[in-house]
Amino acid sequence: MAPRSSPSQSLPTREGFEWTRTHNHEPENDWLNTVAIDTNWASGSGSETVFQPTSVRASNESRQALCLWLPTFELRLELVRSPELDRTSVALLSPRENTRRTIWQVSERAYESGVRPGQIVSQAVSLCTSLTLLEPDPAHYDAAADTMLEVLTELTPIVEPAGRGRVFLGIDGLERLSGPPNQQIDRALSLLFQVSPAPLVAATRAGVAPGKFGAWVAAASAQSGRPVIVSESGLISFLADCPISSLPIDSIVSHRLERLGIRTLGQLRRLPELALVAQFGEDGRNALAWSTGCRIDPVRPWHKPQSIRVSLDFPNPVGLTGPLYRVVDQLVERALGRSCRKGRSVAAVRMSAYLDGGGSWVIERVLREPTSDRERIAAILRAKMENSPPTHAIETLTLEITEFGLSSTQTLLFDRTTEESRATGHLDFNHNEVPAALKNAVNELKLRIGHSPLYRVIEADPWSRIPERRNALLNLDI
Amino acid sequence: MQRCHRFKPLGTPKPIVVHSDEQGNPVHVRLLGKPDRSVTFIRERWRIDDEWWRRTISRDYLIVILDDEKVLTLYHDLLTDEWYVQ
Repeated sequence: MAPRSSPSQSLPTREGFEWTRTHNHEPENDWLNTVAIDTNWASGSGSETVFQPTSVRASNESRQALCLWLPTFELRLELVRSPELDRTSVALLSPRENTRRTIWQVSERAYESGVRPGQIVSQAVSLCTSLTLLEPDPAHYDAAADTMLEVLTELTPIVEPAGRGRVFLGIDGLERLSGPPNQQIDRALSLLFQVSPAPLVAATRAGVAPGKFGAWVAAASAQSGRPVIVSESGLISFLADCPISSLPIDSIVSHRLERLGIRTLGQLRRLPELALVAQFGEDGRNALAWSTGCRIDPVRPWHKPQSIRVSLDFPNPVGLTGPLYRVVDQLVERALGRSCRKGRSVAAVRMSAYLDGGGSWVIERVLREPTSDRERIAAILRAKMENSPPTHAIETLTLEITEFGLSSTQTLLFDRTTEESRATGHLDFNHNEVPAALKNAVNELKLRIGHSPLYRVIEADPWSRIPERRNALLNLDI
Repeated sequence: MQRCHRFKPLGTPKPIVVHSDEQGNPVHVRLLGKPDRSVTFIRERWRIDDEWWRRTISRDYLIVILDDEKVLTLYHDLLTDEWYVQ
């Protein structure tokens, strides 16, 4: 096993800060539990694509990766906001759309009482009667995460987030600018101290290794104030003792491997590749590649797309769904009317709100098919709001178009589907039948220029021997 | 039935300059604003005489292929001796 570097004395530590340790702070050598508890690392935006391979290697990728990981990022943010809850039993509720609320993250005191992530609220309260439950505030967490990402670009332009509280930095070629890796870690943490609360940054774990997987494993095995730096030559021996659960593969596959007695990556790499692929498919091949150090996923720079954002402040908080749905329709229309949309269709939307009494509420939806249809987008958002309604009245409602599709309005004009999205197959349009999309286009043109410039071809005298008598153009005014 | 606001003709013939030979076959064609093109082949030809009761129409239609392989439908208005493309 590669020797770990000596802890840097210049790294900020948690000394001097009154801070409740969360359940993820494990004894130094028991890092198995650290990863086992927090193997759901694929959470938050961007984390599901961190280990997707790309066919083309871009010139701006970085092989050497620095991973900064802040366990229970969201709960720590809440405790910074409410320091009086420090050293008490606190649990953060899950923001997911379940009819039964479940526990998402817990403090160490709550963990000692038997409360665990994933438990339903009634079960958690029965285990710890003094448990304080906190409502999640996703907008606040996203804002804090975005701020941290922005400041880290001062160290390197190659910054790739993997969910909230976890980020990979590409550090190829930074030695001359920032010094060796431990000084680069110091610099990164110094930058974070400028924008984030000190208790939050002090709990950050850092790891450096070739590739994102190695860096993640290094960070997960590190302690706050004691980073783990793995060299290129020491990667394979470092990975040998890592548990199977650290692999970014399907949890079913990792459980099956563990039931077969394969508990570490060193044991896994002794298995033949053909057997692994035959049993586990692509996950088996990837698992072997990561465990042998053959697969090195470079850090790729993350480009936040320019989104379109519109919002509305209510003079009095609104809790009724009827008025909210009307506001949603208005916001969608305003967002679609923005000139910066440039005719692009909408592929993903995000609706967020600041709630009366504090807290926030967020829903996101990726559309199955990019569209510019106002009614369709509004209907999707209303359905999502019905499934996951805000817990309190809303003070400010914001709509954000986060992803765009191609400019496909031309095909939409002659979309051969009904309004319920059922295909009309090979039916020809009758004389009086006009597609709904075309009607909308005509109405929009009439609003903009005062008349409809569209015409349709009609048969005037189809049997005439005079060609210009056969057909005519009739103004399309619906 | 759709409301009718404006009604426009479709396929209105456009005037064209044609140089023809002694037999009246087009040899060179010039569309407005375009350079001269020579006619390489006359693919089809027909004549219509119609509406004698109203405003007589007498046209000699030709489908020609130009040197740039473009296909044009021309007609020679036998009453006005003018050429049009349609």
